[in-house]
Parts: sequence; structure tokens; C-alpha cells
Amino acid sequence: MNLTVVQWEHSPDARLLITHRVLVCLILLIGCSVAAVGQTSQQTNLTPPFSARVTHLLGFEGVKNNASGTLSMQGSALQFQTGDKPAVQLQIASVQDVSLGEQSKQVGGLPMTLGKAAAPYGGGRVVSLFAHKKYDTLSLEYVDSSGGVHGAIFQLSKGQGEVLRNELVARGAHVSNSEDQPRQQTTVEVSK
Amino acid sequence: MTADKRVSLFVLAVVTVTVALSHPLQLPAQTAAANPSPGGKNASTAPWSVQVEKVDAGEVNLEPAFQLAIYESLLDELSKTKQFKQVLRDGDRSAVDVSDLLILKTTVQKYTPGSETRRAVTTVSGATKLTVRSQLCTRDGRVVLEHTVSGNVRFLGSNLRATHNLARNVAKTIRQSSLSVPSLTAQAQGAR
Repeated sequence: MNLTVVQWEHSPDARLLITHRVLVCLILLIGCSVAAVGQTSQQTNLTPPFSARVTHLLGFEGVKNNASGTLSMQGSALQFQTGDKPAVQLQIASVQDVSLGEQSKQVGGLPMTLGKAAAPYGGGRVVSLFAHKKYDTLSLEYVDSSGGVHGAIFQLSKGQGEVLRNELVARGAHVSNSEDQPRQQTTVEVSK
Repeated sequence: MTADKRVSLFVLAVVTVTVALSHPLQLPAQTAAANPSPGGKNASTAPWSVQVEKVDAGEVNLEPAFQLAIYESLLDELSKTKQFKQVLRDGDRSAVDVSDLLILKTTVQKYTPGSETRRAVTTVSGATKLTVRSQLCTRDGRVVLEHTVSGNVRFLGSNLRATHNLARNVAKTIRQSSLSVPSLTAQAQGAR
């Protein structure tokens, strides 16, 4: 035992060798972990989860009209979830066309409308001038398992439509050629 | 004794009001039961099925959202009429096996974009108007029914509401028209 200690203490070459080996191991470990982190981030870049708060206007099968919920993309599926109800989903590959639009809507719904109607001296009309908000609309045309064409329209906050459309296209949704052209706004309210 | 009279009068008044309220409500229901739809068309008399084609925008610069909304609303409204055995979507492969199939073609003829804000502020302007040519054809292209139908939104509701009103008018027009019995149609074709 003592002999060994003496041997270690008096052999600088052996100590150097061990230090060298430890250093090599450390470098290898760091290299592996960096590679692993890089690979993970690459995978997440391929299919990062995406979600947006939207209002379903019409057409998405199994969802009520004018239902608010979350539209999200998980892998190759597009799903819409309202509250605690189970999510309704479709394959993004089945989307045949994605188009964007804009619309301006009065805010406040029925209570606001009634309030404006009840306001004296046409005060409600003045309120209407300012009580509107612009939204993006996203129209999806997709086919079901039997080949039937469906059309779904979602209303999103302004600016979100483009993001969602690009995300859908990146994940394999088809877009017709006309969509490559700049967006045309057809409503008088928007164009004038 | 006076209290009894009061109670009797109160009961009498309640009964009178109840009868007065319920009587006018019963009348439309009785009338509807007595007078079935003009063409007398239900699943037993006109066992057609219908396949709704995608809306053709024609020369009109119509937003894709409007096209899809008309298409979906037509499917919805035609199902509500219960006039057809089946209401099928465009591209549905099961349509091949359906014997008595009509195809509904819709072409947009005129579109006047409106503005919800203008409607709210001015009441008289800002209406969204849609006019379409609606054709019911057989598989071999013979036009069974052709109508020009309009739908608009003048006061309350978003611009897309015009598509719902249009589809309701199309369904109403088809309901009020007399569709020939499929067997007679086949005989007529055979005689040619």
C-alpha cells in the first residue's frame, strides 16, 4: 500500500496521463451534450406547437358556430378546442386551400346594440363610429375521409391570420395559386 | 266571501290571459299542419338526393370566405328543408352510388360589399348584397330548376350574414318549386 503511494507521488508521468484522460473525457462529455441539445432544438424547430385564440364562425365539423376557442397545431394535426370539451381535429394535409381576409365588426354584441338603440339624440350612431374593430379571417377548405369538401372560417385578431396561414403552409397545407397574389380587400369598409 | 271573489277573479283573469296568449300561437302551427309546403315535397313524394357543388364566383371578385360561407350555409339550409333524401357535399364519393341525384350549381352574379359600421351609423346605407344563379341539374346536365336568388343584410349582423340569408332564400325557392318525380324524369329521358 505504502509502496503504491510512493510510486504515485514519484511518477509525474502517470499523473499527467490521468489528467490527460480526465480532460479527454470531459471534452467528450461536453461535446455529446452540446450535440444532444442541438438535435433537440432542431427537432423542436421542425414541429413546434402552435396555438392561437380564435372564434369559429362556421364550417368546422363538430363545432358550433361562433364558438371561441383555441386553434392549435400538434404535429400534422390541426385542432380546435372549446373550453373543456374534447378537441376536434383534422389532418393538415387534407387542407386544400387557405385564404385570408379582413373584416371590421361592431364590438359589444347584442347588449351594445341595444344600448346604442336606446341612446337618445342618435348618440348610439356616434358610438358606432368608434365601436368597431378589425379582424383577420382565415378560410380553410378541406376534404373529409369520403372526399367531401368542407369550408371553415375562423376569426382572429388582426395580424394573426398571416402567421397562422404561414404555419399551416409550412406544415403541408395546400394553397391555391391565387393566394400567392397580394390580398385583395373587397369590403367597402376596408378598401375605402 | 270578498276574499273568495278576489281569488276567483284572479284565477279567471289568469286563465283568460293564458288562453289569449296561447291561441294566436296555436294558429300558425295549425295552418302549417293544414297546408303543407306548396310543392308537397317531402322524402316520400320527391325522393331526390342533392349534391351541392362549390360556389363559382364567376366574374365577381368575391372573397373566398363568402364563397365558403354560401356553400356551407346551402348545405345547412337544404338539410333543414328535409326535402331531399340526402344532402351531399361536393366531391363526396358516395354520390356515385346515389340513384336519383340532383346537382346544385351556384354562380355568383352580383356582389355589393357592405359595411357593418356604415349600417350601424346611417341605417340606410352599407348593405351587403349577393345575387346568385342557382341551378338544379341532373347527372346528364339537364337543368331541372333555375332561379336567380338574392340575399342581403341591411341592418343587424355581420357581412357574412348575407350568405346565410342567401342560402335560406335558395332553399325556400327550391322548396316552393315543383320537382318532378325521378321515375317520371327517367321515363321522359327514355322517350327522347
